[in-house]
Amino acid sequence: MLRFEATQMLLRHIGDLPIVSNLGPTTDELWHAGHRDRNFYTYGNMGLCSSIALGMALSTVEKVVSLDGDGSLLMNMGSIASIGREQPGNLVVVVWDNEQWAQTGHQSSHTAFGTDLEQVARSCSIPKTATVNNLEDLEAVFCDALEQEGPWFIVAKIEETEYMPVAPIEPEMTLYRFRQSFGASGV
Amino acid sequence: MPWNDIIVDSLKKWDTSLVAYVPDISIDRVTTLIDEDPYFHLVSSSREEEAIGVAVGAYATGRNSAVFMQSSGFGNSINAIASLCIPARTPIPIFLNLRGGPGEFNIAQVPMGRATRPILDTLGLVHFTLEDEHNMEKIVDGALKLCHANRQPVAICMTQLLHGGKLA
Repeated sequence: MLRFEATQMLLRHIGDLPIVSNLGPTTDELWHAGHRDRNFYTYGNMGLCSSIALGMALSTVEKVVSLDGDGSLLMNMGSIASIGREQPGNLVVVVWDNEQWAQTGHQSSHTAFGTDLEQVARSCSIPKTATVNNLEDLEAVFCDALEQEGPWFIVAKIEETEYMPVAPIEPEMTLYRFRQSFGASGV
Repeated sequence: MPWNDIIVDSLKKWDTSLVAYVPDISIDRVTTLIDEDPYFHLVSSSREEEAIGVAVGAYATGRNSAVFMQSSGFGNSINAIASLCIPARTPIPIFLNLRGGPGEFNIAQVPMGRATRPILDTLGLVHFTLEDEHNMEKIVDGALKLCHANRQPVAICMTQLLHGGKLA
């Protein structure tokens, strides 16, 4: 499964719900798959994608989707415990797991050596979890996640491929557009 | 008014209802008030940079937020502030228990405590240091106003001279 085609598939189902995307290719490919005001692209702050999504989920009744990565989550595994503690029913975490730090030279990550992030989520009391290896299975579980109470934690095993051009986006504008879509003022 | 009540009142005045934190005994008297008040949602984070992420997420959906941590934890959150808050311009007030001042007993707390304000200066972030309750309502209220006007984090450094709390 390729991350870009999976991202395109998620966008077909997600409607106007907010998404937070992990830095690097996840953010770039989300932009190429479909730029929208409710995409909260991150550019740095590695490890904080699902923490940002947690803060959103505690502040809106809408479903919030986090598109995280294995390398980033390994940097902030405590965020999984915090999600388990808060139990936000409207949070859906999707982890693009390529078992490597791809952008830094394809070094193997810990998930290539037996670390099972779905099991970590289960042990942190996250009730709805899955690991999927193909687009059809991801689509089925993602549609369930949009309809059913969570929190959800979905590990999607992906293959790496050529990177797309860096998305032409600005953090300040991302936040401005995102906040406006929630009716908040830009200031 | 006691310092902890002043902070709670100021947060309410600025509609700041989500607070993310890592526990600290010296400022427990303010975070306990927050935890017991249904106006607030206090989110316990496993690490200070995570608290920054949670606070930014809340702000992104239109809910004002703040973080509480110790100066050692500020060290853990520098990249989150530098690579998320500043580029995206998020007005997150950072309430810090500033270690390393008069009364400090722990050698390990001195370097990060003493480096905290120079690091804030290097990042271009405004900070205020509170050593007593004199003028504190004006300072905290003014700090929050400046924070939102500038749309950048502002640090409010609370010393042991202010809170008299146990250093641990």
